[in-house]
Amino acid sequence: MIAREMFEQFKQRFGPLIVRADLPSDNRLFVFVDPSSVRYVTQHIFRELDARYVATIGADDRPFSGKFLVAHNFAFDKEHLLCGILAYLPPDKPQIDSITDMVPAASWGEREMRDLVGIEPVGHRYLKRLVLPDGWPEGSHPLRKDTLWNEVPAQYDPEREFKFDEAPEGCMVIPFGPFHPTLDEPAHFRLFVEGEMVRGCEYRGFMVHRGIEKLAESVMNYNDIPMLAERICGICGCVHNVAYVQSVEEAAALKPPPRAEYIRTIMLELERLHSHLLWVGLACHIVGFDTLFMQSFRIREPIMWMAEKISGNRKTYALCVIGGVRWNITPELKLELRSVLDKLESEWRPVVAAVSHDKNIQKRTCGVGVADAGQVKSMGLIGPVARAAGVDIDCRRDHPYAAYDRVEFDVITEQGADVWSRLLVRAKEVFESIRIIRQCLDKMEDGPLQLEIKDELPIGRMGLSSVEAPRGESHHFVITGENNRPRRWRVRAPTYQNLQGIPAMIKDQQIADMTISLGSIDPCFSCTDRLETVDVRSGSVKVWSQEELLKLTRKKVEG
Amino acid sequence: MKAVIWMILGGLANVGLVLLVAPFAQGVLRKVTARIQSRQGPPLLQPYFDLLKLLGKEDIESGESPGMQRFAAYLSLAAILAVACLVPMGFSAPMNGAGDVVLLIYLLTLCGICTLLAGLAAGSTYSLVGISREMMSMIVLEPLFAIALVVGALHAQSFRLNEVLSGSVYAVAGTPYSGLIMLVVMVLSFQAFVQRVPFDISEAETELMEGPLVEYSGPKLALFKYAHMAKLIIYSALFVTLFVPWGSGLVFPVGWLLFWAKVFVLVMLVTVVAATHARYRIDQAIRFFAGLVGVSFVALILATYGH
Repeated sequence: MIAREMFEQFKQRFGPLIVRADLPSDNRLFVFVDPSSVRYVTQHIFRELDARYVATIGADDRPFSGKFLVAHNFAFDKEHLLCGILAYLPPDKPQIDSITDMVPAASWGEREMRDLVGIEPVGHRYLKRLVLPDGWPEGSHPLRKDTLWNEVPAQYDPEREFKFDEAPEGCMVIPFGPFHPTLDEPAHFRLFVEGEMVRGCEYRGFMVHRGIEKLAESVMNYNDIPMLAERICGICGCVHNVAYVQSVEEAAALKPPPRAEYIRTIMLELERLHSHLLWVGLACHIVGFDTLFMQSFRIREPIMWMAEKISGNRKTYALCVIGGVRWNITPELKLELRSVLDKLESEWRPVVAAVSHDKNIQKRTCGVGVADAGQVKSMGLIGPVARAAGVDIDCRRDHPYAAYDRVEFDVITEQGADVWSRLLVRAKEVFESIRIIRQCLDKMEDGPLQLEIKDELPIGRMGLSSVEAPRGESHHFVITGENNRPRRWRVRAPTYQNLQGIPAMIKDQQIADMTISLGSIDPCFSCTDRLETVDVRSGSVKVWSQEELLKLTRKKVEG
Repeated sequence: MKAVIWMILGGLANVGLVLLVAPFAQGVLRKVTARIQSRQGPPLLQPYFDLLKLLGKEDIESGESPGMQRFAAYLSLAAILAVACLVPMGFSAPMNGAGDVVLLIYLLTLCGICTLLAGLAAGSTYSLVGISREMMSMIVLEPLFAIALVVGALHAQSFRLNEVLSGSVYAVAGTPYSGLIMLVVMVLSFQAFVQRVPFDISEAETELMEGPLVEYSGPKLALFKYAHMAKLIIYSALFVTLFVPWGSGLVFPVGWLLFWAKVFVLVMLVTVVAATHARYRIDQAIRFFAGLVGVSFVALILATYGH
């Protein structure tokens, strides 16, 4: 009913601007509008209806409709509604009015769309290259359908370097990355530093692009992709696995059996448990408190073993296929999982009690890396970062999926908006996860693990799914297609949004606080960098050329 | 003549002892840290092997001025070993006549200067940030030890090492207020003198990638590491002689063993504090030390009035 009510409201307000609308279910709404009115419509939705910006998606739809497609996805969290504002663009010169000045959170989404699909966001003030490698020629867009998945343009220049912005006057430049002990993955922050104070920064990431979306859209099939999706991230892989499968299921109107939904919930929560414990450890390591780092890793280890017993792997569970799951939780595993949870709870409680009164850690984290509710809204920050600023959002409750509508849990919020509050949120969420898993184990009913799918999946349907990853909402958008694979699959990992909030968080802070502020969003660069086909390291001395390295690895693989 | 030879031999014996014991103390520190963190930990002798490994590696010239880099590495170990010659290690100070407390203060400052030289030689942004932190903390840290020694010298009415380094801070009639104040000050700042968490700010691995040492490798790194380990022993020895003198006068080997037992208790204390704290930020640390400097000036004034 919500979707219908909202649509009525849109109709009254925008009337003739709406070209078409899809209401596939109660809590999904796709509104197609005229390209010239996208700005007006999104402004209304974002400002007056107080929707949360989720993602911007560009798609090359020319082989099917002869046009380009742009979607801005928004979430109405209180109303439990996910809504897409879509517009078709002419094939010859695709461009659309930028919404970044009203919705700052859309900045990266629009830049990515420009890089990869070649849709020009008109009016965007900072159109620097975001995703494509530095030597990639202008005018070549990898996500267009006429570009092959393994194509490297002839004009590709591996020697060209990225041009960084000028440092402000009086500032020293400290290159933070591409490789740094606190970054477990390559990313480059160029810090503009005055004494010990950070005055600004520029980010150049997307260094480990793997062309995952393109690969999925051109060579893999529906049931291969979950395994690929899982490899987007080494920590929250299962989240992508589930989110992809759910968006396809939604597009094809499939409902997995209840037991499968419970198992998905259990695995997602196991993942949250190990991820949060890992984060607490790493955060402590960043501020030099190695004892808690070691202890939380010790407490975490049984979770990894449990995951291995269920799925055969500590990570990358290879859990989902379309319409179900691949692993069962047998009565013996159930029993063992319960005892692991009991042990975890009894060990974690004293840790939380000790940490929450520790003046030493508070000194390093209180008032550090602040992102208040206003920033959360404008930059689209999500997950523990938002909840630590008192913004009560959690996809598990707001946009329930799997079996989350059948379990009870509290959404933990804090008011400090700083690193300390994020620490508390994560530490307390561990208990909620334990609670959820216990309820699932109690309520899980017997039944099949997979749905029998006899027909081909319908073509040209849209599905989207938001899954609450340990770091925040992971959003997947799928348009189903021919050849047993999706036409377009877009992944928006939580770090993609949270990373955009970092420059504001670290401004006018000390360098020492920079690392823990960045750490506090639990950044996952591999999630963010999931896209491109070729990777070039910029700016550093090259001993090996890229071709030589490629040859070398191939030789190794072939033996 | 004979006395001079004995002095030199005594000094060398101290140097040898420090070189021998320092990696072991580090081994103990690592093992205890590991036990606190529920880990197995490396064998007690691991630091010896680490040093041997580093010393056997290729000597790479790197950084902006390799000459200065080499010099800083040599100087850092040399300076701390020179201190070893002056500090009593269970016996009386071997080179008693060769220098006084003022020389000791200078040599201790020289150890810090080496870190600055190392950072300057590397010329990387990280090392520069590291030395700016090192410099800031030196400005507030060095006075603390100097004042402690001067308080001792005032009470002992002498700058001679043997007189000062024998619990002289308490050598007054009545309650030794200044000595007790300095004891508290030194306990609170000891972690910073031996450059351990929570005050290893200038090296902060997760922020500055070891700061001034970022360009060091192989034998030169070994020298710095050795100096770092030696610092722990020598500062502990200094602390013990200055503030915990009781029992040192007992006959050999009881007094000697007691001295080393006290040193190792101090090493343990450093370990436990390091394992249970997060690193402070430079401004927080400076504010903390500045407060201590203020307090120690009060002690100094009390000492001049004989309290």
